[in-house]
Amino acid sequence: MTKITVNGREIEADPKQPLIRACHDAGIDVPMYCYHPGLTPVGSCRICQVEVSQQNQPPRVVAACKTSVAEGMTVQTDAPKAREVRRECLEFLLKNHPLDCPICDKAGECDLQDYSFNEGQGCGRSVEPRRKLHKRRSLGDVIVLDEERCILCSRCVRFCGEVTKKPQLTVSGLGAHSVISTFGDRPLTGNYQGNLADICPVGALTLKKFRFQARVWNLAKTRSTCAECSRGCAITVEVLRGRQVKRFRPRYDPQVNQWWMCDTGRFALGPVQQPLAAAGAVHGGRLAGACVRGPGGLARATVDAALGAAREILGNKPAPLVLGSPFLTVEEGRALQALAAALPVAAGFVAPPPSGLADDLLNTGDPCPNRRGLTELGLRPVEPAAARKALATARAALLVGERVTTLLGADELAGLPAAVRLVVFDTQAHALPGLDVCFGVPTHVEKSGHWVNVGGLRRPLEVALAAPRGVAPLETSLARLAQLLSTAGARS
Amino acid sequence: MKRVDRYLLARVDLPDSHTLAVYRAHGGYQALEQVLRKPWKPEQVTQVVKDSALRGRGGAGFLTGLKWSFMPDPAKDPRPRYLAINADESEPGTCKDRVLMERDPHGLIEGCLVSAYAMRASTVYIYVRGEYRVSYARLQAAIDEAREAGLVGRRILGSDFSCEIWMHPGAGAYICGEETGLMESLEGKRGHPRPKPPFPAASGLWRSPTTVNNVETIFNVPFLVLRGADWFKALGTKGSTGNFLCGISGHVERPGVYELPFGVTAREILEQCAGGVWKGRRLKAFFPGGSSTGLLPASSVDVVMDHDSVKAAGSMFGTAAMIVLDETASIAQLMEVTLRFYDHESCGQCSQCREGTEWLHQIFRRIVRGQGRMQDLDLLVSLANGMAPAKTICALADAAAIPTLSAVKHFRAELEQCVRLGRDPLATATAQSPEHHEAHA
Repeated sequence: MTKITVNGREIEADPKQPLIRACHDAGIDVPMYCYHPGLTPVGSCRICQVEVSQQNQPPRVVAACKTSVAEGMTVQTDAPKAREVRRECLEFLLKNHPLDCPICDKAGECDLQDYSFNEGQGCGRSVEPRRKLHKRRSLGDVIVLDEERCILCSRCVRFCGEVTKKPQLTVSGLGAHSVISTFGDRPLTGNYQGNLADICPVGALTLKKFRFQARVWNLAKTRSTCAECSRGCAITVEVLRGRQVKRFRPRYDPQVNQWWMCDTGRFALGPVQQPLAAAGAVHGGRLAGACVRGPGGLARATVDAALGAAREILGNKPAPLVLGSPFLTVEEGRALQALAAALPVAAGFVAPPPSGLADDLLNTGDPCPNRRGLTELGLRPVEPAAARKALATARAALLVGERVTTLLGADELAGLPAAVRLVVFDTQAHALPGLDVCFGVPTHVEKSGHWVNVGGLRRPLEVALAAPRGVAPLETSLARLAQLLSTAGARS
Repeated sequence: MKRVDRYLLARVDLPDSHTLAVYRAHGGYQALEQVLRKPWKPEQVTQVVKDSALRGRGGAGFLTGLKWSFMPDPAKDPRPRYLAINADESEPGTCKDRVLMERDPHGLIEGCLVSAYAMRASTVYIYVRGEYRVSYARLQAAIDEAREAGLVGRRILGSDFSCEIWMHPGAGAYICGEETGLMESLEGKRGHPRPKPPFPAASGLWRSPTTVNNVETIFNVPFLVLRGADWFKALGTKGSTGNFLCGISGHVERPGVYELPFGVTAREILEQCAGGVWKGRRLKAFFPGGSSTGLLPASSVDVVMDHDSVKAAGSMFGTAAMIVLDETASIAQLMEVTLRFYDHESCGQCSQCREGTEWLHQIFRRIVRGQGRMQDLDLLVSLANGMAPAKTICALADAAAIPTLSAVKHFRAELEQCVRLGRDPLATATAQSPEHHEAHA
């Protein structure tokens, strides 16, 4: 490690990393546009200029992204000269910028906006007409490009070439007439396009699916883990006004996903955006509370009544089948095991076959985010087909966890003999012949706990969105049911 | 002005000067034979170049021998080594290398071979400006002729030295004359200059040690080998040795390329070589070394033409491409044309250059059209200072900022008058029409 002094503070810096990285790692802000820690520095935007002095030489203003650290280097990020160069740079960058922040999705998390606010000048000096370019150029199904907002940092170009290793973007045109374009104007392909909108420091590349959906300052951000494969990418769940999940975005995790995530995970918003079933209704949306089969079919019931009914079924039928969802957290898995022990049977979890989405970057193709965590607890992975076979011959079954019915195949389960009595904990109640009791459960953005990813790393889930009223944490419900079962067992 | 001992242009007026036979008949390839037959050690060649204090003729005036010595020791660095010849002569006003390439191509080839020997490079690329079709054809023909004669290729003149020379035409971009832009272009990429360091000697073409030299610089090398460093230093001045080629153009009677020793004055070049300002008019201003160097007023015409003196006068020696303006020329129009060029040629990587060259051009265009504002003059200075010095990856931003600053400094009154009158009284009619001259039209 190399010792350098930044703003009077001595810090340790990795000599293989550029100066800007050393500053950022030490928590010292240095503006950046073209630099991204996950991409090769090119030193073209010139915003990261800081003042550097070395060995009694007069201080120089240099681009921190293309300067290597050297022992004894002294850095002033806020030296007047450096600030002046950054101010000039911002004035040039803003000269042709449309300044359409009021209708720009990036506003609020835009580096151009933030640094202009911090370091720019109050008003521009240009009276020249602003450049007129394409405002909405579609780059495929995921991304739309606003050429006027683009500051030509080339992060997107480098992302395609360096991270996905499939060059698809380039800078075309010369000088002030440069624009980002795809080769041959072909649409972008691949499962990592969403990252382009994240790394774009301005509002040039935006997600078609997020366009005009929310102002980002109204989004509450909670750290979580992606549910769509066993990689368990670190993400942020962004919720609009406490009501709806609007975005999943990658969160830096050096051991798992670094700065990236795949589009499969990014756009898996359907399961967490499901509206509630209508008041009093059982089907047609998220189930809040519980329902029990009565003379007129499934009907709403109190949780206590439903727990009682569940105990009747599970406690009186021999060896009920106990299957969890692969979305169960380690904590929920443990509660399920405790419950299974009270019956006493061995619990398993539904493990769907590979999704076919596996690639050599992040997606593992295994749709079970907690396969490793549940397996390590001792839960058996069961393929849906095998699980359905076992179900067909069982007298009763307990199916537990988010999407468990869907993963088993709701249509196939509809063909189960009615003699198989089902107690289901799921986000919604499906119309199944043997379904006697159903409890609503939280989705993975509504609960806290842990998953263990494919590499054995334990990663957190936090409550990003309050579960609907009447939906209790799964561990609590399972513990109460286990309690009822064991006391019932003691009585008989 | 004393009689000039011409060596650079000694052969260019001979009939069929571009052929091997004529070149050989006038002492050609003797330096190569001397180096390979004697034989000289590569370090000896470098030492002569160092001793001669030859400065690069591509504009920056960096010491050639010093540049060569940055090449890593081949014993410790097994990577291939390259010599790239910058023949992408595109600076407005500069047309000297073209004369050498068209009319004495073997002189350049011999220079390439001797220099490659000194640097232990076995591959030479000559990157020729795209528009220079004749230069390209003449050089290629000369390389073929030399290869036939055993002067290029494997085991040259029976020695252990092998060297291949490849031609590479540019596609018309000024930025590819910047040495790192040239290397990118040679590698088949867009001509986007690379940040330095690393310098080409450490990591150049295909990340291998590379030296990039100007045509005229390399053309000097065989003469240094044959005549020695002392002969060379006796020409020119203390800080700027040898002869240089001056391409003088603009409002003069006899524009052309002239060979002169460092130390002549701009007035001597203008009056004695170029026959003075044309049509009997008076001098208004001149660029001493191409459009990227600071514009000098007529009062500076007695400046001594060497690197240090021109610098002291507030400009740069550059490529010694003098552009002369007579008293009828409009400074606003001159700058509009100049900045239109830089706006068009900026590669677009660096924010300051991409936006700044366009902005400066727009302001000068408004002034020419009579839409200037008084505050534009200070704005020009402020913007130019925001672009340079050394605030960007390469020096194109500086090349646009330097003439801007000098024009406002020396000709502020004239520009102010354009603003006050609401028109440029000196500009030609076409320059003032609104449809005229969009940089990327």
